[in-house]
Amino acid sequence: MGSPVSNRAGSRGDFLVNFRAPWNWTGKSRKNNSRQLVMSNFEQSESDFYQSNYATDIQDQGYSDSGAHKNLYGSQKCQGQELPQPDAFVPLEMLSSSQSYIGQILQPTYNPEFLSHSSYADSFDEEPPLLEELGINFDHIWQKTLTVLNPIKPADGSIMNETDLTGPMVFCLALGATLLLAGKVHFGYVYGISAVGCLGIHALLNLMSIAGVSYGCVASVLGYCLLPMVVLSSCAVFFSLQGILGTSLALIIIGWCSLSASKIFISALAMEGQQLLVAYPCALLYGLFALLTVF
Amino acid sequence: MNPDGGAASKRRLPAASMASPHQLFDDTSAGALGRGYAAQQPPAAGSFLAEPVSSFAVAYGTTLASQGKEIVDRNIDRFIPVTKLKYYFAVDTVYVGRKLGLLLFPFMHQDWQVRYQQDTPVAPRFDINAPDLYIPVMAFITYILVAGLALGTQNRFSPDILGLQASSALAWLIVEVLATLLSLYLVTVNTDLTTIDLVAFSGYKYVGMIVGIVSGLLFGKTGYYLLLSWCCLSIFVFMIRTLRLKILSEAAAEGVLVRGAKNQLRMYLTMAIAALQPLFMYWLTFHLVR
Repeated sequence: MGSPVSNRAGSRGDFLVNFRAPWNWTGKSRKNNSRQLVMSNFEQSESDFYQSNYATDIQDQGYSDSGAHKNLYGSQKCQGQELPQPDAFVPLEMLSSSQSYIGQILQPTYNPEFLSHSSYADSFDEEPPLLEELGINFDHIWQKTLTVLNPIKPADGSIMNETDLTGPMVFCLALGATLLLAGKVHFGYVYGISAVGCLGIHALLNLMSIAGVSYGCVASVLGYCLLPMVVLSSCAVFFSLQGILGTSLALIIIGWCSLSASKIFISALAMEGQQLLVAYPCALLYGLFALLTVF
Repeated sequence: MNPDGGAASKRRLPAASMASPHQLFDDTSAGALGRGYAAQQPPAAGSFLAEPVSSFAVAYGTTLASQGKEIVDRNIDRFIPVTKLKYYFAVDTVYVGRKLGLLLFPFMHQDWQVRYQQDTPVAPRFDINAPDLYIPVMAFITYILVAGLALGTQNRFSPDILGLQASSALAWLIVEVLATLLSLYLVTVNTDLTTIDLVAFSGYKYVGMIVGIVSGLLFGKTGYYLLLSWCCLSIFVFMIRTLRLKILSEAAAEGVLVRGAKNQLRMYLTMAIAALQPLFMYWLTFHLVR
């Protein structure tokens, strides 16, 4: 590659980038994938002649604030290395910012002043990490899962402040997948029952509690407490649940799910003396899921 | 982030102007124009939000959503009195346990009068005699599920049968409440029984029905008939004792014999309403137990 572009204001680490891999590992800038493909092809052919703007301005960028789940390449790769070889592989997401990409693609000239003022990297710097943008916080998801898995431990009322539907979606899909493994294609039933059940429990909780509850919160709690049901349906893959053992296992799992759900609802809505009352409709709902799993 | 944002916007403006003399190609992308606009706004999450049109769209969408929510709330409030309903759901576990015991064994209970607190009846949480809607609603849903279970054990189950059972039970409930309202109107009773109260009282019989069906599943026809007749008797007594205080005049309610056509008529009305309950209980369950 040509000489590295280094004389830019504020450059803390220079990369000479040469895209080889058209795919994007972390999905950080998934939205730019198609553009990157075009750019990578373009760049391949013109690498020596055109020093594209996006070639460099990659400082430590968002990696310093990305957090653990974005560090798939390890931070050492991104910290100001120079890759003089033409076929060095560099993660694509370092280079892109959706904003100014559109313009850059048509400006293949080497322009150091332009490069020094190029703005996409700054906006890329300031762009929050993708998972944070999407509102997916793995730590909270893990915490909530642990709360569900331990129905005896009293729950913290504040964990349901952010309604997060990622975990529930994952669990619903896991339930459908395990049912599929057992030979039953019931995705539609799972979604339908969860939707109607969420509506019913939302109406009931709004009537029973003094403080109202939003639909998202109800959906989130019910989805998280679906996790033991996934355990039940994965058992159903290995042995048939019709029979005394299966029925008792199903009853235990239903009780587990509804106790967890009612425990979280009680702590989040500050309803005293109503745990069993909340647990009963949840048990009816999870009983429907168990029926789906067993029969 | 913010200092960088400021610096970025400063750097963007010169970039946009400097792009032109040094370009080999024309920058026909929307990004160049957008960058001029974007310079005035801090880089939001996602480039499309930097466009002013997009921010208008977001604001419009938010107002639409809040307006829609308001309309839904208003209309729901018109058809379903939510605050009144909240009174009927202010229950706790102790109340529900005691009420279920009362529904199945009302013979020992002495005081059936609902306590009042400055003209408004006390919430069900604090008075076992107050009607609630939690038990009827839960009992209705459980009845449908148990009916499905009973049909399933007889291999007569299909998902639409559940819907059929649910709608027929609901229809009978509505018929009963309307008949009671009509007869109360015809007898010109001055009572504070609201429609929701009547729905609650009519819903209490589902508890007995569930007990009957479950015993029929476990113990066969004899068990079904035994327990169902017990539940019929107890709901009859329960209804008479509860409605007597609401429909009859004060004196007659306390047991003093008051002669008069009016009171006799009211007594007959109370007994008729109470007698409807066992009838419905049998009608809605006998086909489920074979």
